[in-house]
Amino acid sequence: MTIKDLAEKLHLKTLNSVADRPVTGVYISDMVSDVIANAKPGNVLVTVQVHNNVIAAANLVDVSGIILTRGRKPADDMVALAEKAGIPVLLTDLNSWQVASMLFEAGLR
Amino acid sequence: MEAERSAYRYDMVNVRPGYIVVEHEVQSKAMRAYFSPDPVAPIEEYREGNRTWKHTATAQSIRFSIRDARTGEVASFDELLGLAFYGSCPKGSEVWEIGDLAQEHKVSIYVAVTGEAADGTRGGLAVEKLRVLNRYFNERLRDREKKILILPDRFGLYREFSHGHIMVDLGLTAMD
Repeated sequence: MTIKDLAEKLHLKTLNSVADRPVTGVYISDMVSDVIANAKPGNVLVTVQVHNNVIAAANLVDVSGIILTRGRKPADDMVALAEKAGIPVLLTDLNSWQVASMLFEAGLR
Repeated sequence: MEAERSAYRYDMVNVRPGYIVVEHEVQSKAMRAYFSPDPVAPIEEYREGNRTWKHTATAQSIRFSIRDARTGEVASFDELLGLAFYGSCPKGSEVWEIGDLAQEHKVSIYVAVTGEAADGTRGGLAVEKLRVLNRYFNERLRDREKKILILPDRFGLYREFSHGHIMVDLGLTAMD
């Protein structure tokens, strides 16, 4: 499954370019230090954090994309930074638990 | 049970949660930051000779080591306060300009920011440790054109610590 497939399946709003990057799993966290230590390359990151440092951590561990939950809207500079780093940023009004359930149903572990 | 064999040469080990504590000296306004592994972040004011240090900010963070599976060596990164991504630094700053140029070529610039030793001196991260840190993150990248380049802090970023440019969980509850 790719991040593009996920965006379509979960009806996520896309804020920048979404490439066909394979998704290898899911990591849910609102702490950048936790993401750095525990997220795996190819994971999709589910978070409510909209600080630029989320892009910094996501880029460092090479996640396939970020899903911002609970309607959190990032500033334009965060989206621009994500675009430069090639990290798709997706939005939903659902909370992280609801998104996690849908990702599980979609076959991700 | 047999430990899971890693697909990589380098692995992050001994990951310990804790706090980066930023404090300032009352008279001189000097600032410094250090890592505390305590379960609760220390915020008490204290005296050190004729100087008085007061709490300024606290951020959740981690300490870790990296093990080289080939040699068995374990490098500890206790002196590392955090990594600063160029894109989190102010536009127009040296780091931002260098980082923005490099990012066009899919090289992501980070700066390794270190803390003070107990005697007040500041040493950077040893070049060999920087090499290990760079290898650890780069060997995990799936895009062969993409590179992570972690530089030593020749930019004085440790002074910017409390402004949130460094990748630690400052102001976690603020969500801004």
